[in-house]
Amino acid sequence: MRGHAHLVSAYVPGSSWLHRAPLALKFGLLVAAGVAVLALPGPRPRAVVLAAVVMVHLAAGLPARRLVAPLRSMWLFLLVVLGYRWWVDSLPAALGVAAGLLACIYAANLLTSTTEVQRLLDGLVAAVTPLRRFGADPERFALTIGLMLRSIPFLLGSLHDVRDAARARGLGTSPRAIVQPVLIGAVAYARQTGDALAARGLGEKAMD
Amino acid sequence: MIRFRSVRVLGDRAGETPAAPILSVPELELTEDRISVIGANGSGKSTLLKLINGLVVPDEGAVDVDGLGTASDGAAVRRRVAFVFTDPLSQLVMPTPLEDAELSLRRKYRKRTERRAAALSLLEDFGLAHLADQSIYQLSGGERQLAALASVLAVDPAVLVLDEPSTLLDLRNTMLLRRRLAALPQQLVTATHDLELAQDSVRTLVVDQGRIVYDGEPAAAVSFYRELSAHVAGSG
Repeated sequence: MRGHAHLVSAYVPGSSWLHRAPLALKFGLLVAAGVAVLALPGPRPRAVVLAAVVMVHLAAGLPARRLVAPLRSMWLFLLVVLGYRWWVDSLPAALGVAAGLLACIYAANLLTSTTEVQRLLDGLVAAVTPLRRFGADPERFALTIGLMLRSIPFLLGSLHDVRDAARARGLGTSPRAIVQPVLIGAVAYARQTGDALAARGLGEKAMD
Repeated sequence: MIRFRSVRVLGDRAGETPAAPILSVPELELTEDRISVIGANGSGKSTLLKLINGLVVPDEGAVDVDGLGTASDGAAVRRRVAFVFTDPLSQLVMPTPLEDAELSLRRKYRKRTERRAAALSLLEDFGLAHLADQSIYQLSGGERQLAALASVLAVDPAVLVLDEPSTLLDLRNTMLLRRRLAALPQQLVTATHDLELAQDSVRTLVVDQGRIVYDGEPAAAVSFYRELSAHVAGSG
């Protein structure tokens, strides 16, 4: 069945120092990387930030191929950004933008590769708990994010299935033959998930 | 105890008024600890099951579980009545069995370490400990159904309602599931097309065209259902 498991499992099981580091510290590092990129324009300082992030990645014993994966999925996007900045600005500025983007992506990758989803959700709950006085329900917040993580691979899988079915019927890549069934499938999936959540009493107002 | 009183569920077809209600149950009390429900596709089996935990609320009449009305105390009823769907993939809402079990346990255990330990021991009971961190997409159908079962049982429900739990399973996994279900302390209400699974009970309801047309001993109910189906197939 729909096997887009690789997208969900961002987490790399392990017990490195980065795995054991508290979530707040890792999140702080992610924010620091973002701030450094914004505060230090120009290719050279950004290359330093990028190198630092890559070094942390390797020092934590994470596989090097995880550095290649984002490149593979976003090369076109990076190329467009690079080309555009080169055209309106200069090559060094364009390289700076690309390095800054990569540094941020790798830094975010560090957080998700070394933190399980449940721990991220716990962190999120802790972070939004102060908003409770304004009527926010932190558990619902976490549930929503969890559902999102679970649904993305399903939708990609459904797109894949529908494309296969369209091809099998000789409809080729007709957008209508693909968009419509995927949309209908998404609605059906949402209803099923809603039923499953309701049946398990999840997402109901906290009553304890 | 599950009680139906003059329950009618009407269709919600836009515009036209449906000729007959989807389900009509004048009076029903379910006290036995193993009950099965059989009947053709579209006969109203699923609606009957969904009425028990308030996923469907009757248009007329009332359903209550241990004195709690499904319409007025829906949340309390759902904590008492767990529901297993045909397709475990739509039931497992988290990426791995461990995370899904932990999601069920979030209310009971606020501390992460305790929650994790409880989830692991639960999966261990179901023989799924080695699959705890696998993606649910990588599990076999039988493993998924067991993981879904573990997750809904995590909250210690008093009643377990199952909607065709073996439809997507092969013979070996169906046998595993039956053995697992037989060992549960909960009251079970199972809708199924598997006439063997239907006989793992002490009372069987046959549902046909929105009505309970037979209510009694499983073996007798199954032969009633066979005759009914043969008659319908013959006259059609």
